Amino acid sequence: MNRVVIEKSILSENNRIAAELREALTASGALALNFISSPGSGKTMLLEKTLELLPAHTRVAVLTGDIQTDNDAQRLMRYGYPVRQITTGGACHLDAAMVEKHLGTWLPRGLQLLLIENVGNLVCPTSYDLGEDAKVVILSVTEGEDKPLKYPGIFRKAELMILNKIDLLPYVPFRLELARENARRINPSLEIIETSCTNGAGLGQWMRWLEARAAKKAAATVAVATG
Amino acid sequence: MHEMGVASSVLDAIRKESEGYPGEKASRVGLRIGEFVAVDPDSLRFCFEAILRSSDLAPLVLEIEWCRAGAGRRGDELEIAYLEFEELGEIVEVPT
Repeated sequence: MNRVVIEKSILSENNRIAAELREALTASGALALNFISSPGSGKTMLLEKTLELLPAHTRVAVLTGDIQTDNDAQRLMRYGYPVRQITTGGACHLDAAMVEKHLGTWLPRGLQLLLIENVGNLVCPTSYDLGEDAKVVILSVTEGEDKPLKYPGIFRKAELMILNKIDLLPYVPFRLELARENARRINPSLEIIETSCTNGAGLGQWMRWLEARAAKKAAATVAVATG
Repeated sequence: MHEMGVASSVLDAIRKESEGYPGEKASRVGLRIGEFVAVDPDSLRFCFEAILRSSDLAPLVLEIEWCRAGAGRRGDELEIAYLEFEELGEIVEVPT
């Protein structure tokens, strides 16, 4: 018997594909964001509002994942940008191979922004690198303030938390400050933006964050290219 | 569903590692699973046994080390720690 120390990620094949995707996206200067949340937290509506508010000349593409149906892609296509649905047929998360397969040669030239809407799930998508620059976790006020404590993995890995549906605060027993505290207990550097896609609150701040993050990525790409 | 995907990735990784050991067969695999990756060890074991049964890698013993964060552990481990290989016996044709 021969014991071999491996010490390698179980998802090393996924990670290899994700690294290739990241390299390709970085070469083009495109910012890729992976949106993760429970089902029903408002991911698709946030993306609709984002597409609506982006400057018209923005070169953006959207990949949206669901277990079944292309409902989300149908909604997002109305904004005139390229959108592709990934129907996982049972899998509870997107993986890098799915993203690679669906991106293929489809990416628009000079892409600036790739928005990936993961399958609604706070657990499984957390483990799978899709080649994104940042994970964005969305928590709506119709969920519990203790979600960050119950599902620490995604809150630990996310760069930004969007606290969504804040227009419903008068009607639900959700303590905003406690949700923020819980999230920062898990990830002290987590950025937090409060939004309502219904009345537009916080969307300006979200769009400024997005613009600044895209500019940071583009600047990093130029710095690498020019040595 | 998550554990089934992880189990499938484990078998794929073992197949890939095994390519470096011709004439040997993986007989035991040790996994390291952190508390933050939300993988239930019992579910993973169940899924692993289910897909192993109909795979080319059976029989194979699975060992899982569940890791809490702290004391040098991050708690987000999702790793193959080790593999054990056994030499394949020579195939002897039995006269009929």
